Formats: sequence, C-alpha cells, structure tokens
Amino acid sequence: MVDQRTHFHAELEGLEQSIHEMGDRAHELIGMAVHALVTGDLDAAGRVREGDHVIDQLYLDVHNRWINLMARQQPMGADLRLMSVLLHMNVTLERTGDQAVNIAKLAALSHGLPMSSRIVEQVQEMGDLVRPMLRTAIESFIRRDADEARLLPAMDEPVDRINKSMYREVVALGADPQMLESATHMMMAARALERIGDQSVDIGEQVVYLVTGEFHDFNEEALHDRGSQG
Amino acid sequence: MSDTETAIPMTDETEQQIDITARLRNASSTDSSHMPMEIEDAVIEARGLGVYYGEFRAVRDVSMRFGKNEITALIGPSGCGKSTVLRCFNRMNDLIPSARVEGTVIYNDTNIYAEDIDPVEVRRRVGMVFQKPNPFPKSIFDNVAWGAKINGFKGSKSDLGDLVESAIRQAALWDEVKDKLNESGYSLSGGQQQRLCIARAIATNPDVVLMDEPASALDPIATLRIEELMQELKKDYSIIIVTHNMQQAARVSDRTAFFSVDVNDAGMRTGRLVEYGLTDRIFTAPENDETEQYITGRFG
Repeated sequence: MVDQRTHFHAELEGLEQSIHEMGDRAHELIGMAVHALVTGDLDAAGRVREGDHVIDQLYLDVHNRWINLMARQQPMGADLRLMSVLLHMNVTLERTGDQAVNIAKLAALSHGLPMSSRIVEQVQEMGDLVRPMLRTAIESFIRRDADEARLLPAMDEPVDRINKSMYREVVALGADPQMLESATHMMMAARALERIGDQSVDIGEQVVYLVTGEFHDFNEEALHDRGSQG
Repeated sequence: MSDTETAIPMTDETEQQIDITARLRNASSTDSSHMPMEIEDAVIEARGLGVYYGEFRAVRDVSMRFGKNEITALIGPSGCGKSTVLRCFNRMNDLIPSARVEGTVIYNDTNIYAEDIDPVEVRRRVGMVFQKPNPFPKSIFDNVAWGAKINGFKGSKSDLGDLVESAIRQAALWDEVKDKLNESGYSLSGGQQQRLCIARAIATNPDVVLMDEPASALDPIATLRIEELMQELKKDYSIIIVTHNMQQAARVSDRTAFFSVDVNDAGMRTGRLVEYGLTDRIFTAPENDETEQYITGRFG
C-alpha cells in the first residue's frame, strides 16, 4: 500500500506530536501545582504559571495549523476522526493547564495560613489520583487503545468521592476563621482537580470515538450500568 | 482560551456548557448514520451483476439497491468498474459489441435485461448525463424537444414549448437562455451546456438520471451549480452519480458505494463492490479497511 498523501499525513503526525507534548506538560503542571499548594512552595507556583504559558502557545499553534490543514486537505475517515479528536484534546488540555494555574494561585493565597492536615492529605490524594488519569488518557490515545480509555470512569470515582466529602470537612472547621479560609481554598483546589479528572475522562471518550467511530458518553454508560445492576 | 484570572471562583457554568456539548454529541451520534442499510423504496436493484468485455471480466457480483429520490454516489479508483456498473442501469453497455452482462437489474419490478425489454424504452425511463457536455448541433430548444419528439410526443406546439420550458427551468438554465432558445446549443458555456444536457435528459420524464462524472470537465463554479441542481432534481428523480472526486461524492450524495479493483496474475483487472452505506458514515467511519485506506489516500 502506498500513501498518496504523505505531506498531509506528515503534518497530521506533527499536530498529534504537539498534542502529546501538551499532554506531557499538563501532566507535569498538575503535580507541580499540587506540590506548591500542599507545601507552600511559591517558586513551584510560579513555574506552573510559566508552564501554562507554554501550553497556551502550543494551543494557539495547534489551532492555527489545524484550521489550515482542515481547509486545505479536507480529511476523510480515520484522518477526519483524528482531526476531530485533536481539536477536542487541544481545548481540553489547554483547560487542564488553566486548572493547574488555578491551584497554583490558591497556593499563593493560602501561604502562611494554618491548614487542616486532614484536608491537605485529601487534596494530595486527589492529585495522586488525577495525574495517572491524565497519563492513562494520553497513553490510550497514543496507543489507540479503547480498552485502556474505558478504564477512566472507574479511576474517576474516588476523585469525585473525595471532592464531595471535602465540603463536610470544611463545614466542620466553621469555628476557626483562619482554618476556614485555607480550607475554602483547598475545597476550590479539590474542585479544580475534580475537573481535571473529568477532562481526562472526556479525552478517553474521544479515544473510543477515534478507534471505533462511535461516540460513547462514559457517564451515561455508567448510569445505565448502575441502573441495570440495581 | 479561557481566562485563568476569571476562573476563580469556579462556577458551574463550565460544567453546564460541557453538559450541553455532551448532549449535542449524543444527538449527532444517534443521527442517520446509524440507520439500517435496508432501502425499503428502491428504484433500481442490481442482483449478482457482472460485466464482461469478451473474455475479460470487468466487474463481478454487484448486488445493491438504489433509493428512490436519493442521490447515490459510486466512487473508487480507476478501473474499479464504477462507470461500467452505471452503464448497466440503462443498458448502455449493449452499445459495445463485445460487452455481456450477467445477473439482473430490477427496475419497476422488471428485469431490464429480460428478452422482451426494449432498451430504448429503458433509456427513456433511465436517462443519462455524460462527462463531457454533448449537446446536439441544434438550437437550445430543439436539444430539449428532441427527447420528447423521438418518444412520439403527440401534444400541440405550445404543449411542446411548455415541456421544453419546464425541463429547462428544472435544469436551472431558463433565465440564462429564455431569450435565445433558437440559438445553437454550442453557443452556451460548458456549464450551461451540461445543464442543457440535464434538461434534455429530464425532458423524457425519466424516473432515474444517471450521471457519469457530470462535472469533471467544468470549472469550480459550474461544478457547484450542477451540485446544487442535483439537490433540486432529487425531489423528482433518483440520481446515481459516478465521480472520481471524493469531496463531490461527500457533498452531494445520500449514500455512497465504494468499488475497488482486483488484479489477477495475468494483469486482468476486475472491479467489485467493497462497501455501500450512508455517505455520512462512509466518509467518517467506514466499516471496511479498504474503504478507509482509499478515502484517507492510502492505496495504489
């Protein structure tokens, strides 16, 4: 078989490489942001903002190359599905970078405030849960592995659970205004991490679409599964 | 790019937006691309269709149904037999002495290759438009009136005028030629000539219009006019189009059939139907690997 569209496919491959790079950078930023928040490392918080700037540049670059490629090459079939997925991932990973920045900002706001060790542990745990989720999403994309992508909703469940329990923990600190302030920041960080988990699940849905040509809403499937079990 | 400055405090707005996006995606995932392939209301059906030129088998074993008031595109690489198949549907292959057709083509519950069938009558019901505009060396009016006349049109002169006007209007050409109906068909531009040929084809009141690369000799604007015209024509006719332009097939057709070609040890090339489905599906997520390779440019 001869590839009659080598230039187009080379450009498409280049676009995908940029998305891989965005995924790697976003993954790194999440770790850095959670570290900044739980340890009060403001240098790390600054590096998160710088890192997000690089992701934003990649986002714009991918967007410009994407629209030119679409206009000029009019892809079809698997190429068209890949183009669609790349556009989605470009937006999603840019937002993931923004969430890392949100967490880094909370690190600065919380600096010097007393913190509940219980809540800090929970945020750390959420960070430890969502980073492998984003890694799984990116790896399943690179390997075109729909089965791996389908693992993501289950990986997201503990993240959602901790995020929900966080509210009760914060309310319990109501008597101590300073603790309450830092705890509120932590709750917002937890919310950002919960969003990153959801974004990883979204990427997983895109991987299944890329591989199968069918779009599946993982959340709806999970609801359906629970319904049929109950 | 969302503004991180405004992302704190975080609201549920983003979540709502994502919910809406997800609903839209779900809506599109349950669209017509998942409809079953069965065509209830077929205008033409090929069963086990094969074509030979002498000993050479050009196409083998094509079985498919064509929907009424639909546009069906036949695509595939050179030599895949798509034009040969198209020409079976109005017995144009009869005009090639060495050609032999096997299998059946059902039109209106009748096998058009049955012995008692008059191929001229078939061609009246199943018209054809060719790659190169081929008006007769006659006036614009006579080009269109010709079909009706040879079909024994018995109406008055004014009835014939009405018929010609109606056909030219349907071919979206009337405003451009109404003041010069007596001028030669050759005086028109290429795109106009092709629309004149379409008017001539529909003046015999066919059910089906076959189009063999109808826009490949035209400039992009004339091409788009033909494509727009096809959307209008399908309200009254069923259209089967052969095109080597995949984007054109994607733009105009409801269903697409992909043909490929096998080459035997002696270098003989035989076409076959690989995949047939809704155009939405064929160009986004075809089921067959050969189709996928062809539409993504990996072939040859």
